[in-house]
Amino acid sequence: MARGKIKKGSTFVDMTAMCDVAFLLLTFFILATQFKPSEAVNVTPPSSVSTKHAPQKDYFNVTISKDNEVFIDMDEGMRVEVLENVAKQRNLSFSPEDMELFKRSNYVGVPLNQLKQYIRLNPEEAGNVKMQGIPTDSTNNELLTWVTAAVNVSQGKIVNFLIKGDNSSMYTTFSNVIEAFKKNDVYKYNLVTNAADIPQGSELWKKNMAGLMGKEVE
Amino acid sequence: MAEMEVKSGHKKGPGVKKSKKQSTRVDLTPMVDLGFLLITFFIFSTTMSQPTALNLNMPKDTQNKEEETKVKESGSLTLMLGKGNVIYYYFGMDPASMQTTTYKQVRDIILNKKRTTSAEDLFIIIKPDKDATYKNAVDILDEMNINDIQKYAMVDPSPQEYDMIQQTERAAGM
Repeated sequence: MARGKIKKGSTFVDMTAMCDVAFLLLTFFILATQFKPSEAVNVTPPSSVSTKHAPQKDYFNVTISKDNEVFIDMDEGMRVEVLENVAKQRNLSFSPEDMELFKRSNYVGVPLNQLKQYIRLNPEEAGNVKMQGIPTDSTNNELLTWVTAAVNVSQGKIVNFLIKGDNSSMYTTFSNVIEAFKKNDVYKYNLVTNAADIPQGSELWKKNMAGLMGKEVE
Repeated sequence: MAEMEVKSGHKKGPGVKKSKKQSTRVDLTPMVDLGFLLITFFIFSTTMSQPTALNLNMPKDTQNKEEETKVKESGSLTLMLGKGNVIYYYFGMDPASMQTTTYKQVRDIILNKKRTTSAEDLFIIIKPDKDATYKNAVDILDEMNINDIQKYAMVDPSPQEYDMIQQTERAAGM
């Protein structure tokens, strides 16, 4: 039997398959991606079994950081009107340029007397500034002013009031925020949470299962 | 495969120079590199889980005693959220019978109460004190949802109750 010549092994690996996989994954991630919205502070919200998605439109969001600082951000469409209303309440004046700058800034996390300086900063500079949060104490409750402005501006429209608190923030801060809302006759809030599974065998689980069964029967 | 074999039809004579076979194989390594680089970027910039929202409706504050919600003593369970993820609870209107539990065990207490009380009478009063965290409050609200409790309220503890919590905490060395 004649032995075949030993072929010289090529070191060239065929990359086509790997390329296919890479681009398949890439396509998936491009389609599935939703960019993280910029955040003033890193907040880890608690988890809940709620399945309702947090509203992304017409929102007025109050963020509580782990150091109990309060930040607000709101839908871009209402920012200018809200700032005008705040200025009216507090006898402040903002130039049209300031308004434009405010429209582009994402978060408000400074007391009103520092707001002008803050919105005039470049994005890079603003990132380095340590924001001290909006005062919520009873002597100078600026959060109340902001909420009042948002309520005044949104006459007739539905505004989703979101509260996003960090796991380790204190209940008292949350209670102050609620108080500011209550004083403006706002009683419905959405607490932003991470989704968690419903524990099996619990009452809600049984209820949901019964609902599913009912649907199947129909 | 990205390769084609070119077969020459005729036999070459001894004087004919062999033309070098040109490979049509393309080196895909840089393309794969690029692909994975982009994948990495998208993996890091993506948020897969959308945040959910827990609905919370608060009642209007009222000074009028007539408008206040009446709670049956037999159907009430008060949960006070204290420091260090501890819950103090008592049934009825007597804070002196306060007992201690944790967030893991509170479900059994709620369920027991639910089983032994009629649905109309059951009312859970949540009283987070000054040392409770926001997570504690959300956890207990979530617990209400999990156990399908229809009526519950969130109020501040009375000074007397707050003192009792303080004393208990001090006794426990917190």
